[in-house]
Amino acid sequence: MSKNVDLNQEGVQVKKSACYFCHQNCGVLAYVKDNKVLAIEGDPEFPTNQGGLCCRGNAALLHLDHPDRVNYPLKRVGKRGEGKWEKIPWQQAIDEIAARLQDIKQKFGPEAVATAGGTQRTDDWARRRFMNYFGSPNGFHNAHLCWIPTFMVETAIYGWCPFDLDIGNSRCLVLWGQNPGASGMPEMHHIKELQDKGLKVIVIDPRFTETAAKADLWLPLRPGSDLALALSWLHVIIYEGMADDDFLTNWCTGYEELAAHVVDFSPEWAAPLTWLTPEQIRAGAVMYATNKPGNIQWGTSVDQIGRPAGATMHARALLRAVTGNLDLPGGDLLTGPSKDFITDEEMEANDVLTAGQKAKQLGSDKFKMVTWPGYQRIADLTKKFWGKAPTAEWMCEAHPPSVFRAIISGEPYPVKALLVSATNPISSYGETKLVMEALRKVDFMIAHDYWMTPTASLADYVIPSAGALERPTITSSYGCADFLLASQRAIQPMYGRRNDYNFWRDLGLACGQQGNWPWETVEDAYFDKIKGLGYDAKTYDEFVENQRFHFPEREYSKYKERGFATPSGKVELYSSVLEELGYPPLPQYVGPTENEIDNPELAEKFPLVLTTGGGFMPFHHSEHFQITPLRYLNHSPYMDINPETAAKLSIQDGDWVWIETARGRIRQKANLTPGIDPRVVFTQRGWWYPERDMRDPVLGGCMESNANVLTTTADVDCDPFSGAWANRGLMCRVYKAEQAAEKEVC
Amino acid sequence: MPRYAMVIDTRRCIGCHSCTAACKIHNELPDDMVYNPVTTVGPVGIFPNLSLSFLPLLCMHCDNPPCVDACPTQASQQREDGVVFVEDSKCVGCLSCIMACPYGARHHNHATGTVAKCDFCKHRLAIGKLPHCVATCHQKARIFGDLEDPESEVSKLVNGNRTVRLLSELDTQPSVFYIY
Amino acid sequence: MSNKHQSWGWMLAVDFFFAGAGGGMLVLAALVELFGNSRMSLAGNLLGPAFMCIGCIFLIFELGKPFRAWRVFMNPKAILTVGAWTMSVAIATAFVYAAMALPAKAFPLNLLPFDPIVWRDWVWAGKLLAVVNLITGLVVATYPGVLLGRLKGRPFWTGPGIMALFLLSSLVTGTAAHYLCGFVTEAPSVVVWNALPGVFALLLMFQLVLWIGYLWIKQSGATENEAAAARRWTSGDRSLAGKGAFLFLGTLVPLVLALLPNPAAQAVAAALVLFGGVTMRLLVIKSGDDRTYLPGEKRYNLRLPNGDEAFLHKSAH
Ligand SMILES: Nc1nc2c(c(=O)[nH]1)N[C@H]1C(S)=C(S)[C@@H](COP(=O)(O)OP(=O)(O)OC[C@H]3O[C@@H](n4cnc5c(=O)[nH]c(N)nc54)[C@H](O)[C@@H]3O)O[C@H]1N2
Ligand SMILES: Nc1nc2c(c(=O)[nH]1)N[C@H]1C(S)=C(S)[C@@H](COP(=O)(O)OP(=O)(O)OC[C@H]3O[C@@H](n4cnc5c(=O)[nH]c(N)nc54)[C@H](O)[C@@H]3O)O[C@H]1N2
Ligand code: SF4
Ligand code: SF4
Ligand code: SF4
Ligand code: SF4
Ligand code: SF4
Ligand SMILES: [Mo]
Repeated sequence: MSKNVDLNQEGVQVKKSACYFCHQNCGVLAYVKDNKVLAIEGDPEFPTNQGGLCCRGNAALLHLDHPDRVNYPLKRVGKRGEGKWEKIPWQQAIDEIAARLQDIKQKFGPEAVATAGGTQRTDDWARRRFMNYFGSPNGFHNAHLCWIPTFMVETAIYGWCPFDLDIGNSRCLVLWGQNPGASGMPEMHHIKELQDKGLKVIVIDPRFTETAAKADLWLPLRPGSDLALALSWLHVIIYEGMADDDFLTNWCTGYEELAAHVVDFSPEWAAPLTWLTPEQIRAGAVMYATNKPGNIQWGTSVDQIGRPAGATMHARALLRAVTGNLDLPGGDLLTGPSKDFITDEEMEANDVLTAGQKAKQLGSDKFKMVTWPGYQRIADLTKKFWGKAPTAEWMCEAHPPSVFRAIISGEPYPVKALLVSATNPISSYGETKLVMEALRKVDFMIAHDYWMTPTASLADYVIPSAGALERPTITSSYGCADFLLASQRAIQPMYGRRNDYNFWRDLGLACGQQGNWPWETVEDAYFDKIKGLGYDAKTYDEFVENQRFHFPEREYSKYKERGFATPSGKVELYSSVLEELGYPPLPQYVGPTENEIDNPELAEKFPLVLTTGGGFMPFHHSEHFQITPLRYLNHSPYMDINPETAAKLSIQDGDWVWIETARGRIRQKANLTPGIDPRVVFTQRGWWYPERDMRDPVLGGCMESNANVLTTTADVDCDPFSGAWANRGLMCRVYKAEQAAEKEVC
Repeated sequence: MPRYAMVIDTRRCIGCHSCTAACKIHNELPDDMVYNPVTTVGPVGIFPNLSLSFLPLLCMHCDNPPCVDACPTQASQQREDGVVFVEDSKCVGCLSCIMACPYGARHHNHATGTVAKCDFCKHRLAIGKLPHCVATCHQKARIFGDLEDPESEVSKLVNGNRTVRLLSELDTQPSVFYIY
Repeated sequence: MSNKHQSWGWMLAVDFFFAGAGGGMLVLAALVELFGNSRMSLAGNLLGPAFMCIGCIFLIFELGKPFRAWRVFMNPKAILTVGAWTMSVAIATAFVYAAMALPAKAFPLNLLPFDPIVWRDWVWAGKLLAVVNLITGLVVATYPGVLLGRLKGRPFWTGPGIMALFLLSSLVTGTAAHYLCGFVTEAPSVVVWNALPGVFALLLMFQLVLWIGYLWIKQSGATENEAAAARRWTSGDRSLAGKGAFLFLGTLVPLVLALLPNPAAQAVAAALVLFGGVTMRLLVIKSGDDRTYLPGEKRYNLRLPNGDEAFLHKSAH
């Protein structure tokens, strides 16, 4: 890449590629010559980013050929974590890994092999396909923290998850624990433009964020208290005459039960729980209910509040129903899965896995919503109604902390191999000490990644992954959207890298899955997926070059003809599916996972409320800390603390401080800001230091500032519906650190 | 002859630093150099009554550029289209221009000994493309164009009189205009 | 590295000191020539342009690209160019002037078969050179102040005040230097010689008053940035150097000593004045680090790396 490269020179092709440094998958134009990318820029014709790119997107070429990238399969030659590796050919790596997996399968059963993933770093139906043919139900992602439980709870109630907003026609947008100003930039400009035309925006967030600063109403609630807020909004809307009676009588069941259930959840009741005033609570409910059509946008916060998460998702879902905001123009659309193209689920081969193996899925006895019991029930319903089911990879997974515990204890059965692909669990899974113990303990581990991450450092094999410019991308919201955006690879993978798809396919073939992998390349598979759409394309690339998008005509109020994909065919305010699975059919109030009311002794020791994580620029979870120009803009971790609290603790802006919970402590720098309640602190997530020693025990300083050292995954702290663990709304204490983080300065 | 200008709509800016990164990366700036920082103003106030905004910066391409006047070598120049730039081969690194610029828009390149600064991406203008920081801003908070062209968006915004300039009391006549 | 070293360093201050003192010496010598019908000591007259040469050397080393130094002559609109030209002329004419007093028997002239200083006895030439030196000396003594005073974004400097302070300091240090030179080679006429301590005492008094006034005005200045910059001198991190080294040791003490009828005390006073002159310039140059920061800029800069962070110097592990 050079400033003076001539893009008009002969032989330069413009490829319609994508960025995959977050799920937005912004459109990228790549200028390519001789399998080299000369330059990239945002694709002006792409509907979301419209020519723009964020910090990370701009760094694509620095990422593509960064000197620290793992470019060839590496086999451990020293002790685990010792940092001694041997480069080996791809096929050798595949064969050796396959032999080891087959051996484990033979001795301990296929369920002794688990896979860990991140959230949509790449599409993962091929991983599921591999696992189904292999016979293990123990694939998982940390997607528990990221939309998946929301999807399943909402689908239980009204037959699909309304993640597609008809925001152009909306009059009110509730950003519930969502901060597009730092996390979903390309979407933020639409909000601003619509705000200028009168859209009301409510932000529910303990911090005064980039987005809150532009909102019409900001509700800085106590972290983790979202349930109390949702319940009292239900109360206000129902008891102050703002409910959509027509929709409720004709299209919902259980309205009376709901009304009776929320009778006591007044704003006055919720105020001390949420730290909002009754007026603030009422103002929010009124703004949402009276500016119809309106949307409640999913934000990842509710997925991460632990114990009250499922009930909160439930209550939040009911708000859409009582206001009649479902599936109408400008409302929250229930599109269902695509009728037009082959969905991810249809490529996963879920039928291959036997009922016996499904029953062994770790955690499925405790947490039913996103494991086989709940998934099966919901998939049956949606198949009957929509003809298709949600993607199983993501929506039907082993419970990650339960797998880590099984690795450590051998209970209920041994788990001997962990295939880590597209995740850095040490950074992003909960309760890092537990994760670390499991990773050190597991007999066999591979890491499939771009980098030698702290996790990869502990692996037996590291497999180099090809990135977004080196592979095609289909963007379709975890395979659950009825639309898709397609992008092509700009170049073939560099060095010895391979696509994630090819890794799973090659591993499958080496494990005896011949005949089950008809598509040699990702393009072959994707072409299969889209060829039924009726566009005149003979290859996947042709589709991308000529069409690129498939947006079906929007249909509103489909329920008027067909009802909803629930047992009763109506929106089940009183949920029969939840009841069947053993959960409360109406959202019962549960306090935040750790809180001063239910656990006064804990609050005495840990007097401040902690919330961990939230996207911040320019990083994506544990990624991009190696990219110097990005790191320069944000070189050390910061936690937010109110100046009043800081003064009491003799903490000054920029001081290193310890943040400690019952699980452990970490160091970050203090960012003094009035934008947070004096009783709350917020830590950044994802931090590790690629510039440090990557060998065990330093592992890139991955415990030093890592927010997940603080979080909890104990079964009792998890959401009983989904098993999602608790990152937000915990109790902590903060004190000044005498020293800077180690080796901050060299 | 065009007269280039930028309008920055701070109401749209979300402080994402994409423009900063785009400039650093595509213009291959040394690690420690930032031509176009985006500062955070606030939050101001007492919880929960607050305000917060972001201020994207860059060289103001002053119509009356004190940096050019201060430069003893004529390495610092202004083109007719308003672009203020440094001709590196003439620069002696006396830093007079750095000291003269009230906006902190000039930077000493410690590796080369000379001074560097935002040049409105003149290499991009030459091929009909927008400056990197403008093209990459997904919020369209940075708007670039020709003030001589009455139809350009910048002309309309500037002539619509809703814009202000930074440190206007210094009479530097910036070509960068802000909407608050 | 890092954005934190983005302003002039100590060598420029030293340049300003030598150039200023040199300029002051030229002015004084010219005044004595024109109105006193006398001459300063040979050492003094040589030291004036020599000081300027030393200043130039420091200036060149301050440059990021010393080998391109000749380019500073290129922009007549730039104060620095004006300064460079004037200084060059001043150095030349001042040496020509000083040479008039160089004994033909002195080394190295005695090696030559003839006396190259043919203008030695041209009285009119002495007067003419004095006029030129008066003008160029004044310019050289003043231009650093003009340069700084015009920099609108540096609140401690902005305005004509700094020009007066630099001119004054140049004259004081120039006078002091002449006085000390009188001990090296034959002093000028008794009247002039005896007057010098008084002159620098008087100038020091002005200096004291003007500086106190300057700091006071800045501190109650129009903008918060000005006030903050001045506060660093009066009560902040620069107050020890500012008040102690410059105003007390470099100004007040020599003022008192100069008034004592004792050549030794007066010599000490002169030395202290020189010390004060350097200190003042170092401090003034440092004070230019504080720009008129734009909203949020200070915190932004504070959060950038210092330059010594490990990630910037990563060597593969
Ligand atoms: N405390 C706390 N924890 C959190 C959160 C929080 O807010 N607070 N947020 C949660 C959320 S929302 C999420 S989504 C998760 C994110 O968790 P993860 O998705 O696990 O994110 P990372 O830990 O950054 O790991 C991603 C890894 O995948 C690699 N990678 C990226 N793309 C590819 C690819 O295409 N192929 C392969 N093979 N590798 C790839 C990257 O280099 C990186 O090492 O974290 C969750 N954890
Ligand atoms: N820059 C950047 N962008 C990203 C990512 C990234 O890592 N970096 N990750 C991507 C991923 S995987 C995801 S899932 C999305 C997530 O994007 P979002 O859904 O916007 O979620 P977050 O940014 O994690 O958190 C949003 C807000 O929740 C607030 N919050 C914290 N605790 C609580 C609470 O208890 N209740 C409520 N109501 N709010 C709370 C935080 O202050 C934060 O501002 O972002 C994506 N975009
Ligand atoms: S990382 Fe940035 S550029 Fe890439 S897809 Fe996400 S928002 Fe778009
Ligand atoms: S890219 Fe645009 S929105 Fe982002 S900081 Fe720059 S100007 Fe602001
Ligand atoms: S902002 Fe500074 S560098 Fe840019 S033209 Fe104005 S004075 Fe010169
Ligand atoms: S540093 Fe270079 S550009 Fe700046 S004034 Fe000196 S010579 Fe001119
Ligand atoms: S115009 Fe170009 S050089 Fe100037 S700040 Fe923007 S990207 Fe950087
Ligand atoms: Mo996520």
